[in-house]
Amino acid sequence: MKSLFGSHIHLQGKVLDMRLERQNVVAGNLANIKTPGYKARSLEFEDDLQRALGLDARGKMTRTSPDHMPAEFDARKFSADFIKDLKPRVVQGEDAVDLDKEMTTMAKNTLLYNTLITTLQKNFEGLKTVITEGGK
Amino acid sequence: MDFMTALEIGASGLSAERTHLNIISMNLANVNTTRTPEGGPYRRKSVVFQATPLDSPFTKAMRSELEREVKGVKVSGVVTDQRPLRRVYDPGHPDADGQGYVSLPDINVVEEMANMMTALRTYEANAATISSAKTMFNKALELGR
Repeated sequence: MKSLFGSHIHLQGKVLDMRLERQNVVAGNLANIKTPGYKARSLEFEDDLQRALGLDARGKMTRTSPDHMPAEFDARKFSADFIKDLKPRVVQGEDAVDLDKEMTTMAKNTLLYNTLITTLQKNFEGLKTVITEGGK
Repeated sequence: MDFMTALEIGASGLSAERTHLNIISMNLANVNTTRTPEGGPYRRKSVVFQATPLDSPFTKAMRSELEREVKGVKVSGVVTDQRPLRRVYDPGHPDADGQGYVSLPDINVVEEMANMMTALRTYEANAATISSAKTMFNKALELGR
């Protein structure tokens, strides 16, 4: 897509949505840390997103045939996997949520969210510079 | 898919933990209580937590399954502990029975303190989720500047 905004901006928007949803899932787990029988939930999207983008973890194309055209990523068709942990860890018959794990997930998630916002901001700043400098 | 979900979940956790803390302080305050409005010595109380959906039935139907699965927490009830009473020999006590024994609630102060620490830490974890969501919110607002 050749326009003012590159296609990566849709991808970034989608990832921000996913990270927000993960924050909600973690908040739900932490709120229910003492609820008997509650099973920890998690939200996984990184691997699927890589696959949808046609890239593997090293950033290389994984086309199976050289004749294949690389498909453009469509942010609207992508969704995350919602995982319910089916085997709760039972400690004194109550907690199935791992506090350390959840807090780490949350910290990591917030940091990545903020980083992504910063890159988006820089992207807009760059656009602005091009517009103002070009108008001179 | 909005920010308020994270804040609502955090708030539900905070309120549930506060109720838990109230119940624990009630237990600690009544360690030696022999008279209650219901009659007899005080009985130890404990809370029951329950995962609860956040939305009204209508918004629930409109949302995706994923968002429906993310739940808050609430205190579904305060239950009376049925552990037997502690009997202490104290003939001078006004509530002593014929043999000079007084029935006191069987409240273990160490157990209550441990529960209190757990409630406190869980409260902190919930407060952390709220502040985390707030950081994300503020960061997203910076996009509009």
